[in-house]
Formats: sequence, structure tokens, C-alpha cells
Amino acid sequence: MSGFLRGMWLIVTLDLRQRVRGVAWYVLLGVFVLLVSLVTVLTVIASNAWDTGGGAVFSGVVFFVLLLGTLVSPALSGNAINGERDAGTLATTQVTLITTAQLVIGKWLAAWLTALAFLAASVPFLVFGIVLGQISAATIVISVLVLAVELAVIAAVGVGLSGVLSRPLFSVVVTYLVVAALSVGTLIAFGLGGASIQSNVRQTLIAVDYQALDENGLPPESGEVPCLTPTVNTYQTPRFDAVWGFLAANPYVVVADASPITFDELGSPRDLFGWIAVGVRQAQHAPDLEPVSDECSTFKPDGLWQDSDYESPQEVYDRSVPSWFVGFAIHLLLGAGALAWAWRRSDVPVRRLPAGSRIA
Amino acid sequence: MKGITVEGVARSFGEVHAVRSATFDVAPGQVAGLIGPNGAGKTTLLLMLASLLAPDAGSIRIAGYDPVTEPHQVRRRMGWMPDALGSWPSLTVRAALTTSGRMYGMSSDAASDRAADLIALVDLDALADQPARVLSRGQKQRLSLARALVHDPEVLLLDEPASGLDPAARASLRELVRRLAGDGKTVLVSSHVLAELEEMADTAVYLAEGVTAAPDDVARAGQTARGWRIRSLDAERLGAALEAAGFGAVAVVERFGAVVPLASEADAAQLLAHLVGVGVPISSFAPAVGDLEHVFHDLNRQGGEA
Repeated sequence: MSGFLRGMWLIVTLDLRQRVRGVAWYVLLGVFVLLVSLVTVLTVIASNAWDTGGGAVFSGVVFFVLLLGTLVSPALSGNAINGERDAGTLATTQVTLITTAQLVIGKWLAAWLTALAFLAASVPFLVFGIVLGQISAATIVISVLVLAVELAVIAAVGVGLSGVLSRPLFSVVVTYLVVAALSVGTLIAFGLGGASIQSNVRQTLIAVDYQALDENGLPPESGEVPCLTPTVNTYQTPRFDAVWGFLAANPYVVVADASPITFDELGSPRDLFGWIAVGVRQAQHAPDLEPVSDECSTFKPDGLWQDSDYESPQEVYDRSVPSWFVGFAIHLLLGAGALAWAWRRSDVPVRRLPAGSRIA
Repeated sequence: MKGITVEGVARSFGEVHAVRSATFDVAPGQVAGLIGPNGAGKTTLLLMLASLLAPDAGSIRIAGYDPVTEPHQVRRRMGWMPDALGSWPSLTVRAALTTSGRMYGMSSDAASDRAADLIALVDLDALADQPARVLSRGQKQRLSLARALVHDPEVLLLDEPASGLDPAARASLRELVRRLAGDGKTVLVSSHVLAELEEMADTAVYLAEGVTAAPDDVARAGQTARGWRIRSLDAERLGAALEAAGFGAVAVVERFGAVVPLASEADAAQLLAHLVGVGVPISSFAPAVGDLEHVFHDLNRQGGEA
């Protein structure tokens, strides 16, 4: 086993040495730091963070790292294997004692470490958010861990596709498409899917007969509130509860939903993770198709009537199921599957060679 | 048997039969030239020997091991120099060789010692700490050769090792290959430059359209009439003497002397003695083409007629 790790680590260092030697890489990292600081400053101003705590800053930076990671990682990992084949250095590695598993896993770890460099560069900003306060330790640990694993998944998809497809440009583009499908495609599927499944809602309204009230706005002598005949409205409503599962596969939703949420006194989330998680969980609930809005029975002479149906975000959150582990499991399977496929395709001696591809 | 043993090996890519039937042996201590026209399947054959490509049929033994079922054992003992130039562009020559050594399980120290030895061996001292991307084609070729030798393999597969090398580097490649064979290594070298192989190969494997020539055919081809080039200080007397000896119709007289087809070495010796005897001042008397080239053309011709 130690032999396996030694060979694998050799591939990791070889890959990193070639990548990190480039000036372009440091420029990219510098631009990233600049952007994160900009995001941090704007979030502090927008969320009034000095008073409300660092929840918004912290979650904003985590999402920004995820965004940048998903945008940069495919370009850095999507040619890991087929790029070496084009350069003629893959076969010279494969005739050594390095096994295909060491090669594929080493390439993946190198791509992951490269993506993690973005996370490392954003640590000062995350710490700044933590210093502002109001973030639980569990949120910090879990969100950063899940973020790191999501970056690992994207690196695995990139390296995997670079082993499966023979042309580097094509595998980079397909990696971007996978990332886009998860990040944006799930949102589109959710929005369009929900909107295309419509249900009829029959809303019954029982209104107060305000003309029957006396001049003080009180019910007449008998004490009974005068009611109008119930009226029925019908309209259509989208059924997001049928398609909310799409959102579970979204990496941003996974990070948000996995993080434990803290609520303020009014039952509202303190950070971006919380709002997203509540939004996703709200979508789980089927709309009431036969709502009855009975103003009459809840009428109070002082004119204040409470809608008893109102739920705070916290109540919505508490009465629904978490979904992040479903999405998380899908992502892990996707990454592992991509690497396994690349391993099968790159193993030598080659038995079946796809048309148009070469060995050395 | 150690060395290289190939029997009935075939490999096709879809409809293209790159190698149809290859059978040959190379014994330890021997240098064998792999000769064939472009597209004959030389590189495909070498890829199969290098444990990168599985044959569809037939069997291969490298140093006694099967590259398909025991690739690890084969890779430990086999060095492969590919025809496609490839090197990690941002690594220095020294780092590239050290990394290759470590890929064969050497310790860092052993690998860097070995790298230093090889740099001296292939004469890249001046460039040892330059990144590989600045190397010329010939220099990359030497780096590639050094990489193939990094784990001191007992079987060496060289695919077009001389291409891009200057005459001095060719000479030292030849010397190196002969020395390795002297140490008991088995070497298979493919090349188009037949004159080059002539000077380093003990035996030859002829490959045409994916089929290795049978030993009988090779022997027969070696015995067919071949041209001998004769140069004289006095071209006119040479012409007259050839005419008198009955070669007037077949001799081709050109700027570099006369080329005369002769059936055997005995005939050649006889003609030379005759020419010297009649007083023609002969300055050079040698086969117009090398042995390998002669057999190569002859086999190709046979293939064309068949």
C-alpha cells in the first residue's frame, strides 16, 4: 500500500510542478483574491454586517469560492490525461511501474489540490466573517468541508472526462457542460418543470359584510359578525413540490442545505445558506388546492386579524426533510464513476482502441 | 528464453490490419534491426512489445514474461524509446530523468545519481538544468534515450532512435547500442536509415504490410544479384575492360564509377582480380547498397510481384 501511495504522490507532485511553475497560475490566484475582497466589502455593506454578524459575509465567500472553483477547475483538470497523451508523455509514464490507478488518482488529487488553493486563498476572508460573529462552529466546519468535497467532485469529473474523451478541448467543454447542468441546469429544470405542471386551486373567500357593521365598525346588537355569501375563485398554481428534487442536485443547494442553520428571534435565517435551504424546503410542500380564507370567523372589532396560516421560515424548515445528502451522494457517484471510467479507458495494454485515438 | 520472442502476433484497428503475422526472436546480447517501409506496422509492433497494446492473437515474451498478463514484470526489465517526442516541458532534463527513475521505484538519491550518470552518457551536461522545452529535436531524442535506460533494462526497444541526431550523436548512439549488447542486453531498433542499422545490427527483422519475412525468404533475397560499384582512376580504361569482360550491356556507368550487377561474392572477387590483372587502376570496389537495404528492396520487390 505504501508503494501505491508513493507512486501516486509522485504523479501528484509531477502534475503540480508542471502546473504551478506557470506565471499565469499566480496571476489567476491574485485576481481571485482581488475579487473575493471586493465581494467581502460589498457584502459587509449590503448586509450591515457590523450589526448583524458575519453570517452573510461567510456564506457569500463560501459560495464565491464554489463559483470560481467550478469556473476554473474544468479548465485546469479537463485535459489532465488526454493533454499528456497529446504531449507524448502519457505512454512514457505508462511503461514505468506506475499503475493506471496511481496515474488517475494522482491526477485527480493534483487537480483537487489546485482547486483547494482557491479555498486556501480565501481563508482570511472566511476568518473575517467568523470574527464578525453570529456563525456557529458547526456551520463553519460543515460548509467548508462540503465545499471542499464539491471541488473534489468537479476535479474528478474533469480528470475522468479527460481520460474518457480523446480530445482535450472537447473534454474541457463537456466538463463545463456538466458543471453548468448541475449549477444552472437544475435551476432551469426546477423552474420550467414546476411551471409546466399546473394545478387548479379553488379558493373560497368568506368576507365580512362591512355594510352591515354599525358606525363604529362593530357588529350589530346580536354580536354576530355579518358574513357575505362565500365566493369561490379558481386559478392555476405551479407545482414546485413535484420537481423540487432537481434542486437537491445543485451544488450550491447541497452546501447550503448541509450547513446547520441558525435563526434569529423572528425565525428568519441569519445567512445565505439558511435562506436557500428554507427556499428549497418550502418547495417541498404541496400548495393547498382548496384554501378557505375565512375573514369572518377571525374578525376582531379592532380590525386586527391574524392569518393563522402564516408560518415563519423556521417553522417551514423544521417541518420538512433535508435533501442535501441525496444531491451529495449523486455528486460523489458522478465523480467516482468518472474516475473509474477513465481508469478503464486508460489502462494498458489496450485491448479495444476507440476509433481515431492513439496510444503514444 | 530471455530476450524477445514473438510468435504469430497480429493486431488490427477496426478494418486496418496493422500487424498481420509477426514471428521472430532476438537473443540476449544481440542487436536486431526492425526494418520495413512506412506503414508496415513497426510502431504498432513495438507498442505491443512495450506492454502498451494488447495483441489480438499470438504470443510475446519479453525477458521471459508476457506483456499482457505480467506487464509489471515486463516493465521492470524493458526500456522503450517512443518515436513520438514527448517530455514534460517545464521540468529540467535532470528533474525529468530523476522523476522517471522514481517511477521505477528508485529512491530519490538513487534516481538522482542515475540521472547524473545518464546525462553524462548522452552528452547533455550543458543542458542538464534547462527545462526540456528549450531542447532541440536531437537533444530531446537523447533525453528520450536516457529515459529508456533509466532503470538499466535488459531489453531495449528503440523506435527510430537516430532521427534528428547529428552525425556525432549517431556515432555515439551506435557505440552505446553496441556496448549495451556487449553487456548482454537485448536491443531491437527500428529505423528507416538502413545504413545506420547496417553498422549496429547483428540481425534484422523485415516487416512488410504487417508480416515478418520468413528466414528462408531473407536468405534467398540475400543471394540474388546485386550491384557492385567500381571506381577507377581511369574511367575510360575501366569502361573498356568491363566491355571486354562481357559486362558492356549491363554495366551502368555514372559519375561515381560503374555499377555492375553480380550474382555472388565469388563473382565479385573474380571480376576484381581480372580488372586488377589487366591493369585497371581500381580505387574502390564495394556493394552499391548495404546488405540490409539489398534484402529490403528485394523483399519488397517479391511482395510486389506476389
